Amino acid sequence: MSTVLAQIESQIAKLSSKAVRKNTGVITTVADGVAKVSGLSEVMYNEMVAFPGGVIGIALNLGEDEVGCVILGDVSQLKQGDEVQTTGKLLSVPVGKGLLGRVVDALGNAVDGKGPIASSESYPVEKIAPGIMARKSVSQPLFTGIMAIDSMIPIGRGQRELIIGDRGTGKTTIAIDTIINQANINRVGLASGDPKFRPVYSIYVAIGQKNSNIVRTIAALEAAGALEFTCIVAAPAADNPANQYLAPYSGAAIGEWFMENGQDALIVYDDLSKHAVAYRQISLILKRPSGREAYPGDVFYLHSRLLERAARLDGKGSLTALPIIETLAGDVSAYIPTNVISITDGQIFLETDLFNQGIRPAVSVGLSVSRVGSAAQIKATKQVGGKLKGELAQFRELAAFAQFGSDLDAKTKSQLDRGSRIVELFKQPAFSPISIELQVVTIYALQKGYYDSADLKKVTATSVSIRDFFKARQDALLTEIRTKAALDKDLEAKIVAALDAWKSTAA
Amino acid sequence: MSAVSVKTRAFVKQLVQLSLVDGRVSSEQVAGILEYLEKNPPARPVALLQAYHKAIAAEIAKGEARIEHAGPVTAEALAAIAAALGQRYGRPVSPLATANSTLLAGLRVRIGDDVYESSVAGQLAALSAAS
Repeated sequence: MSTVLAQIESQIAKLSSKAVRKNTGVITTVADGVAKVSGLSEVMYNEMVAFPGGVIGIALNLGEDEVGCVILGDVSQLKQGDEVQTTGKLLSVPVGKGLLGRVVDALGNAVDGKGPIASSESYPVEKIAPGIMARKSVSQPLFTGIMAIDSMIPIGRGQRELIIGDRGTGKTTIAIDTIINQANINRVGLASGDPKFRPVYSIYVAIGQKNSNIVRTIAALEAAGALEFTCIVAAPAADNPANQYLAPYSGAAIGEWFMENGQDALIVYDDLSKHAVAYRQISLILKRPSGREAYPGDVFYLHSRLLERAARLDGKGSLTALPIIETLAGDVSAYIPTNVISITDGQIFLETDLFNQGIRPAVSVGLSVSRVGSAAQIKATKQVGGKLKGELAQFRELAAFAQFGSDLDAKTKSQLDRGSRIVELFKQPAFSPISIELQVVTIYALQKGYYDSADLKKVTATSVSIRDFFKARQDALLTEIRTKAALDKDLEAKIVAALDAWKSTAA
Repeated sequence: MSAVSVKTRAFVKQLVQLSLVDGRVSSEQVAGILEYLEKNPPARPVALLQAYHKAIAAEIAKGEARIEHAGPVTAEALAAIAAALGQRYGRPVSPLATANSTLLAGLRVRIGDDVYESSVAGQLAALSAAS
């Protein structure tokens, strides 16, 4: 009994007799996930405030007489007259490798039923982006596993590349493919025991999506074995707008931990159109002045401060961002798309027409660009695919022209034929990224005319056959291409020999 | 207050300044202002008076230390608390004591938007929230 009493006594001793000062306010109105609070005279912008029942909120509007707070949690228990307290803290989320393989909400709470997150560190959700001196230029490639992108619109570690297109054009698929490809590369790299190998961890932020879609994404990542290298931040459509507004920043904080700790991370924001809509909803409820399309004046800053957090840091790691924007009827000149296009380092534009023609991924080569360019490409890809973009652009021009006349000269015909073959070659099914060494071999075969004898409809199947042959019988050669990352005469001779061997077996 | 126009808000601010004498709300000044408003009614009298009421209530709360206590507190202790707060906030503060047995022991002092919590009930609540 005496030990029980001692325990209580020690607990009492812990209770400091010092007075604790709190700045308080009173809820005047609460509606639509936003509380107007009178008082809170010392609250700071973006500070966490505590509502009764453990509910937290963020002070977003600092008025002369009242403070507008977005509530992150159950608003049903809150009412007029309830006391609100400042906390003196900024909103932060748990970070670290404990989040890999997990699904969390915008506040970093686990929502996958796998128990609490094993994390001892937390990062503030809002953080100033790294400055000029801390940054390093983007020069290391980040392979998406999609041939059309890796060969023509290369992405580097630390780059912000926008994926833009109408609904149902395969935007999410490209992002998922990229995540799966990182997992595939990580597995090979970690198994090789190379001390210089830097794995890329992925963060997928789902904003305003249907829960069924998020489940499908998780299932796709799990099936491909990519979930163990990925963290999913989910703020589905049913979540309140405050959580949808915060989710990308939480994801960025999780990614920044990897970057600050000398590791590389990839973050996908799916999608920022819905993020802007959630922010517009909050702003309108907070009675902020609205501008074009009823978005508030700071909607550009909303995305610029988020995307600027993606960087390659000198002496540290990198955070690559793939924001997604959904357009309406292919209109890239709408408010939010133009904003995000101007912030990012390039865009992958997906066209509905191409998608409907069966050209998938439906990447529009003419409208897509990577401002980092070939700095983020390995030499082997440059050697085999350096001219592909120009050839495809020429093909599109000629194809449009050829529709008007039937008499075409031999040169034009051959250009059209080659273009059609390139288009066929770049067709790739969903969730099956191709490793960079196989991409090199596939495109090298095109340059050396190995598809010329094949029927146009069978080009895709032929390329699959080549890749299968190399995977099954030329493992050492593929490893050599991967490690050398450039084609010399010796390596080219080996590839030609292997392709000839494939040709003899395929014949 | 959100429905109050910017013009009204500025006018209320002026009225509040006129209501103070030596940093404290003066009942004579307030009575004078109310009399003036009765004789010269503004465009939206109810909204303005509500805003004025709210502002004056906040101003009074700034100069009033509402001390809740569980056990007996001497008049000297109350005066000492008021003096300490007056020094801290740089304005005259008058104590207003009320007994509150739910605090179990200790004090809770409310002045303006600030709450100084040194009651056992408050500390137990903080402990339960932390665990």
